[in-house]
Amino acid sequence: MNVADWIVLLGTLVGIAAYGAWRTRHIRSLNTYLRGSTSTGWGTIGLSVMATQASAITFLSIPGQGFESGIGFVQNYFGLPLALIIVCAVFLPMYRRLNVYTAYEFLGQRFDEKTRLLGAGLFLLQRGLAAGVTIYAPAIIMSTVLGWRLDLVIVFTGLLVIVYTVTGGSEAVALTHKWQMTMISAGMVTALVVLLLRLPGGLGFTGAAHVAGALGKLQAVDFSLDPSRRYTVWTGVFGGLFLSLSYFGTDQSQVQRYIGGASIREGRLGLMFNAVLKIPMQFVILLSGALLFVFYQFAPHPVFFNQAEWRRHAQDGKFAALEARHASALAQSQSAIRSWLEARASDDAARETSARAAMVAANDRADAIRAEARAAIAAADPRAKTKDSDYVFITFILTELPHGTIGLLVAVMFAAALSSKAAELAALGTTTTIDLWRHFHPLTAADERRNVRVARRFTGMWGLVAVAFALLAGFAENLIEAINILGSIFYGVLLGLFLVAFFVRHVGGSAVFFAAVAAEALVIVMYFSLNIGYLWYNIIGCAACVAFSVAMQAILPPRARADEVRAR
Amino acid sequence: MTLAPGPDERADSERPDVPGFRTWRGLYLFVFGWFMLVLALLTVFTAMFS
Repeated sequence: MNVADWIVLLGTLVGIAAYGAWRTRHIRSLNTYLRGSTSTGWGTIGLSVMATQASAITFLSIPGQGFESGIGFVQNYFGLPLALIIVCAVFLPMYRRLNVYTAYEFLGQRFDEKTRLLGAGLFLLQRGLAAGVTIYAPAIIMSTVLGWRLDLVIVFTGLLVIVYTVTGGSEAVALTHKWQMTMISAGMVTALVVLLLRLPGGLGFTGAAHVAGALGKLQAVDFSLDPSRRYTVWTGVFGGLFLSLSYFGTDQSQVQRYIGGASIREGRLGLMFNAVLKIPMQFVILLSGALLFVFYQFAPHPVFFNQAEWRRHAQDGKFAALEARHASALAQSQSAIRSWLEARASDDAARETSARAAMVAANDRADAIRAEARAAIAAADPRAKTKDSDYVFITFILTELPHGTIGLLVAVMFAAALSSKAAELAALGTTTTIDLWRHFHPLTAADERRNVRVARRFTGMWGLVAVAFALLAGFAENLIEAINILGSIFYGVLLGLFLVAFFVRHVGGSAVFFAAVAAEALVIVMYFSLNIGYLWYNIIGCAACVAFSVAMQAILPPRARADEVRAR
Repeated sequence: MTLAPGPDERADSERPDVPGFRTWRGLYLFVFGWFMLVLALLTVFTAMFS
């Protein structure tokens, strides 16, 4: 990075953060601090919902996913538009009608206070523990690639997001999201244009797409019913619907983005904006990864993209031999691709089939050498990070883009980290203030200024917790996966609480509360006794919570049921 | 001191106010139709390039 890159990077990041803090520095209204301006339009809400979901990992890992495994991952988003329609039709009108600040307040109004505290507690536990990961995960990649000190990257990004989120709350988050998403879109389009221009002469987009397709990178949809396949249309529609519904409908970091605004229309249109654009956007990001794969078939590239990790271990001749073999395999693969393109243009089907088989075999050989390189690193250090696909896109940015745009793309990664972190901090601060602090200090609820001061303090506190955790995560990296697993263990039961609230009207507070506790206990016991993918616990927890609630309501003593009906 | 604003009574009666759509149901059907179109286009894309 040169001076121009630094100017673009710091100018955009600090400029947007300072703009957000400056514009919202006089906020004294709790409603504006927690829900944003009452004049916010659907465009800002739509971009804010999108920016909350798009973390830095989205822009670092998803092109790498396209590079490594192809674009089939796009199917994961198939349930999202359907989930957003349900949120618009059922969740949002209810949140607006009850005029709640948090999704968990709704649980309190629908059931009782203990159920509200349970919902808020599950959210705080899950999001609070994960708070450091959204800073740490991109920081470790960027600091590795750019050679910056990890602790300084964490502290800089952490303090930047704390300053404007604490100052302006939800209003500052929405304002900065708008500009961050604009910058992210501009940066990603720039990278895609440069990538297309850098493809070998004569290949063009169509030729590159045919090469990527022939090498298995462009299977966007898979209608297979084979349950062992990770990404199919069916897992995307059904699993994606479930996950998106829990994320958009019950996670305060998203709920807070759309419950404000001028009217319910703005929230609904903001969500529909995402329902329409999300799949095409993810498709383009994944396609960039697949095109990057074609680009690197014709351009020299390292056998292992995380070069810092590679250099740390590549001390003996074995690693040099792997590099030499990879360069040779790459040359053969290039030659095979050119032969296939010629055969394809010749209209000779037999020649084309034979050339295609040779191209696939050459590519498989190059892949096998990359796998050997990963194994060599793992053998040298069992704790080493052997997944290098996250480093593919950032390597392209740093080596192929002109100066100025490098700064812009690095800023894109940091802006994405800041945008998701800001929404998370605002949600944690809001939930702590509304569902815990005000609950235990009911007499102070009317003092609006004090409420805003308390919300600012809790938001700042969660920011510092996130920074501290991110700094510690470097010493205990296996904690990160444990936290992701913990999230899945809690998410399902949380969605179950909301589904009962919306769709099973005869169930009361005591029934759903004890059902949720029992469902959570079941999930934890299953986690320690079964060996299944942890994402399944989302479905198990939700189904158990709904089923137990219905059963519990049926067996509750008649007096308890009558009390609850009267209370409603 | 001001208290939080009252419940949004207009929540259910508000119209989408989007050209071509008189009801929210119509807009949801459009989004669902868009999803089906995207699915169909991705299927064609897969058939063309795989």
